[in-house]
Amino acid sequence: MTNTRDGRRPGSNEGRLRVGTGRASAHHGELLQGVFEGADGRLHRGLITLPCPVFTSTATFWPRLGSGITTRPAGRDKASRAATLTLERLSLPQIGGELTIESTVPMGHGYGSSTADVVAAIRATAAAARVTLRQETVAALAVAAETASDPLAYEGLPVLFAQREGLLLELLGPAFPPLIIVGCNVAPDQPVDTLLTSPARYGSDEIETFRVLSGLARHAVAAGDARLLASVATASACISQRHLPKPHFDKLSDLARGTGACGLQVAHSGTLIGLLFDGAESHARRRAAEAASHLAAHGLLSVITYELGVEGTP
Amino acid sequence: MRARWRHSYLDGYATPRLAKLAPNLVAACFPLMKLLPARFMLDRAEARGELMPGGHIVETTSGTFGLALALLAAVRGYRLSLVSADTLLDASLQRRLVALGARIEIVPDADKTGAQRARLARLEAIRSGHPEAWWPQQYDNPDNPRAYARLAELLVRTLGAVDCLVGPVGSGGSMCGTSAFLREVFPAMRTVAADTHRSVLFGHAAGSRLLRGLGNSLVPQNVDHSAFDEVHWVGGLQAFAATRRLHREHGIFAGPTSGAAVLVASWHARQHPDQLTVVILPDEGHRYQDTVHNDDWLLALPGWPAVEAAGPLELQHLAPLGEATWTCIAWQRRSLDAARRDFGDGLAPDALT
Repeated sequence: MTNTRDGRRPGSNEGRLRVGTGRASAHHGELLQGVFEGADGRLHRGLITLPCPVFTSTATFWPRLGSGITTRPAGRDKASRAATLTLERLSLPQIGGELTIESTVPMGHGYGSSTADVVAAIRATAAAARVTLRQETVAALAVAAETASDPLAYEGLPVLFAQREGLLLELLGPAFPPLIIVGCNVAPDQPVDTLLTSPARYGSDEIETFRVLSGLARHAVAAGDARLLASVATASACISQRHLPKPHFDKLSDLARGTGACGLQVAHSGTLIGLLFDGAESHARRRAAEAASHLAAHGLLSVITYELGVEGTP
Repeated sequence: MRARWRHSYLDGYATPRLAKLAPNLVAACFPLMKLLPARFMLDRAEARGELMPGGHIVETTSGTFGLALALLAAVRGYRLSLVSADTLLDASLQRRLVALGARIEIVPDADKTGAQRARLARLEAIRSGHPEAWWPQQYDNPDNPRAYARLAELLVRTLGAVDCLVGPVGSGGSMCGTSAFLREVFPAMRTVAADTHRSVLFGHAAGSRLLRGLGNSLVPQNVDHSAFDEVHWVGGLQAFAATRRLHREHGIFAGPTSGAAVLVASWHARQHPDQLTVVILPDEGHRYQDTVHNDDWLLALPGWPAVEAAGPLELQHLAPLGEATWTCIAWQRRSLDAARRDFGDGLAPDALT
């Protein structure tokens, strides 16, 4: 096999293996989730993830001869499976090793902790084999390792991604518009298992609405317009509320309006809600800080504030 | 893949060109807008198994929806029976429909109201003889408004935020569908209807109408009255003058419903210079070569040339006026019943006659 489409160097072998490290950031749920028509004319479940570089997962892979992968902490089965699939992909099935995961991503709330581990593991394994993988290959391996996967392989690029097929539906543009996100966990005692949550069954009007939402997301990213992107997120969050309702949603909608946020987003299979502020607006940082103290005053937990693509010092 | 290529020529009919008419006014100019809902309704009926290969489609139409169905039936291999009225279907369109393989039945329309009820009765007769035939029911089929998510998608993808949507209303599909989808992201967007005097859509009593292609002599289920912030009644003469002006000033060769819509939208855009107004233009002018686009035909009309109105006469009551007038009411998202209660019974008050 001399296929180099995935960036594999012909002639790589276990003799050149080394200790490899890989890293992946978390996300804060989705800006948009639904079903979308692909270039093939068929409908695909898809999403636009809101990156959250506040939390990261770092994987280190110590290769050794002989199959089987052990993880530290023990029982990180998806990450272990991801490493195995990566070795198979690199035609190194005779290699096993030890995979260490060090993650700051909270589990079970919609930050994509499991995908972050999986993507970090794939990158660590590839680095151990001195191989660079294309983003689409990392994404496909991640989906193979965990059934449904977030597009963390795309490293913060604004993509519409089919999370169950590992398929890039649309690259929306070069970068997200400047956003300040004030996030919180509305049900920290009710963690969600993504794979046990059955996918939403959308109605005909919702399916058609998703066309409009993805179209506007495309425009918002191209124009660098945070307000329009936040309108998309708000509409998507309202649709999500019909399928997997979150506590405190109405209260946070009111708070978004009251604090001058331009919208809100949710983790569609999680318990996160984020208020979105236009990072290009002059008072955005002050408004975000006010919103964060309101959330804390309401007794909401895990309140975090972070910025995406905003210039200047926070 | 082959099917997608086969349909690509027709797709162009349902894809509007976007034209800037003023700094804050964009027109979505369709070659044949009705192809958009017709194709969507057919796709959905095929997917649900209501329309089988080689099946039979029956519908009543005033023209362009029938043309859209005839194009699709020809390309996809369906039989098609259309019912229309002698006041609605000109000879050249009828020839085109026949050339596409459609079977046409014409009912008389002595009082020039569109003969909607007689057409439906004839349609029922055909359906009872062909119980397997599929009836798209463009007036009541929810797939009609649903088809316009594609227009809303094109608008937001290209323009971003839309502050106001203006267009002619007939079945309610294009205006209520596009408006509902746009309001998913822009809930405050204003929706403005262009109707004509003596169309019953917004509470006038039925009567003879000079302007065809918008308005209706019955109220379709697809008209959601509570979608509209403002309703305008454009008389035929005002619509024709605006249609000719649109051709002369922008090179847009369109039908008279487009002229009526542009008249209303241009005024609205002038009133709201800081807002983006989008206007829907449903078809081109070819069907009207011998009428609206023919000076001799216009000159034979009583009242032509009409003095072009600079703006609408704002009414507090539902009052059908003459073909040279243009009126409006601040509808404010009322139901039809609420509007009848608040604005009277559709008869012209003495002060206005």
